[in-house]
Amino acid sequence: MKNILNANEISFSWGDNEVLKDINFGIRSNEILAILGVNGAGKSTLLKCLNGILKLGSGKIEILEKDTSEMNLIEISKLMSYVPQSVRSSFSVDVFDVVLLGRRPHINWRISEEDRQIVSKTIRLFDLEDFAFRKFDKLSGGERQRVVIAKAVAQDPQIFLFDEPTSDLDLKNQIEVMQIMKDITSVSGRKSAIIAIHDINIAARFADRIMLLHNGKIFALGTPSEVLTKSNIAEVFGVTCDVIPSTNDHSMRIIVKDGIKSK
Amino acid sequence: MDSISERHVKNSKNQMGIIFVLLIVTLLFSIFAMGKGSSSSLDMLSTMKIIIGVEDANSIQSDIIWKLRLPRILMAIVGGAALAIAGALMQGCLGNPLVSPLTLGVASGAALGAALAIVMGFTIVKSPEIAIVANAFIFSLIVVAIIIQLGRMRSVTAESYILVGIAITFITGAIVSTMQYFATDAQLSQLAHWSFGSLSRPTLENTLWISVAVIGLMPTAMKWSWDLNTLALGGDDFAVSTGVDPVSIRKNILILSAFMTSIIIAFTGLIGFVGLAAPHMSRLVVGNDYRKLIPCSAIFGSFLMLFSDTIGRTLFAPIVIPVGVMLSVIGGPFFMYLLLKIRR
Repeated sequence: MKNILNANEISFSWGDNEVLKDINFGIRSNEILAILGVNGAGKSTLLKCLNGILKLGSGKIEILEKDTSEMNLIEISKLMSYVPQSVRSSFSVDVFDVVLLGRRPHINWRISEEDRQIVSKTIRLFDLEDFAFRKFDKLSGGERQRVVIAKAVAQDPQIFLFDEPTSDLDLKNQIEVMQIMKDITSVSGRKSAIIAIHDINIAARFADRIMLLHNGKIFALGTPSEVLTKSNIAEVFGVTCDVIPSTNDHSMRIIVKDGIKSK
Repeated sequence: MDSISERHVKNSKNQMGIIFVLLIVTLLFSIFAMGKGSSSSLDMLSTMKIIIGVEDANSIQSDIIWKLRLPRILMAIVGGAALAIAGALMQGCLGNPLVSPLTLGVASGAALGAALAIVMGFTIVKSPEIAIVANAFIFSLIVVAIIIQLGRMRSVTAESYILVGIAITFITGAIVSTMQYFATDAQLSQLAHWSFGSLSRPTLENTLWISVAVIGLMPTAMKWSWDLNTLALGGDDFAVSTGVDPVSIRKNILILSAFMTSIIIAFTGLIGFVGLAAPHMSRLVVGNDYRKLIPCSAIFGSFLMLFSDTIGRTLFAPIVIPVGVMLSVIGGPFFMYLLLKIRR
């Protein structure tokens, strides 16, 4: 099966500091790819490069075999939707109108009936009916995160790029939001998601493949059981752990024990 | 249509209704204001008859309305609308509710130009009737040029614009203060008069040209509504993910707003509050969708300016209190009342 996104030899630097070095990977349809790594490993930078927020130092990104450097932002945003770690607003906007911004790439001026229906449907999908006409800036961090993810879903892209989507969510919400993403990427059309995440167990449970980023390079890329080994985790995160294979599904549990003292 | 969509459509219709009512109130008030003044007072019907030429009024009344009050009232409407639109655009594209058309330093540039003309006699256009206006306009355009230069830098952020604006305000302020230090009493008084903000300076011809420029720029402002919705809500990364290039859109919006501000302030002097308050008052009634916020801010701005000027002209007639002063005295408490009442 062909990849819907290919990153070829991409590099990015902040001044002299090379954050990403020769990154090569692809993502297939209906796949969730989780990016794991320590703080500063380049997870967020990689997502921002993919979405065109940061300009690549070198390399090429292709979506559906088309070079993104030859596409304008509207064309990219119809194919790819990036969800930042947090969105804070100084102005009061209704939740409905925030989700409606997801339709921005599809709207010229007037909001069509179809756009409204898509927004309503998405609001219901994320259980936000009671919040639809409440002010976004008055919601809790977790509620805001759900709204911003709902905005990305209303955008109807092929690829979702999530930067720490569960960081502000409580345990139940983490599972629910990830399950919605799993459902969206596994049933409807050719949708996929790339998720930068810190929670190794959430990644192991929901991702089809995992990328371990270490010092700006891909340290390992493969299925959770291939990548999340004791030695890889020790090398990348500097902790000892137990990896317990699950008995009822393909996911596994990682129990982190101690930090390894640096020599 | 489901219940959530229905409610959104209903809210939207209500907001359009509010904008329409505000427009009618402003139009009616402008007719009322045209009849009121220190020299003669007419009721609305008589004023209306003179304006549309049904009643053959005596020539003095007709002259007062056409030559004295109409330019002033038109200037209040256009000036209020332009400054309010500039304020709304700038707040949105900089993602900052504290911003007003004075933030970028355009008005400080204008003040420097006016001070150079009044105190130093340095004028770019020699004709004495328009020397101060021309100086104010050209020096405010120099600030617009600085903004354009700044916008060419790819790494420029919303904060950089605000900080550069504050720096410009300090620098020009220091130069103007130095000039004031050496100025004569007559020059000081003239400069103080300029900085109060007044609607009595532009002629009818000036006002008509200003109106053409402002009305001509409005569709461009409206065209950026969706981009502003995105930028105002979520900042730069959020904007990119929604297909908006924040750097280029912000640059274009700031140039347009600065230019609109220059056109008005060169003629009226320093009027700033309307550009801060009118957009916020509009946000309280129509929300943050710039497709509605821009027209609503324009109407609120016009009304605020017109109302303040009418009170300023009539309260202690024949003494006229400058509109800049009245705007802050009347608009300030009203603005605070609205904020506290609705956000309670």
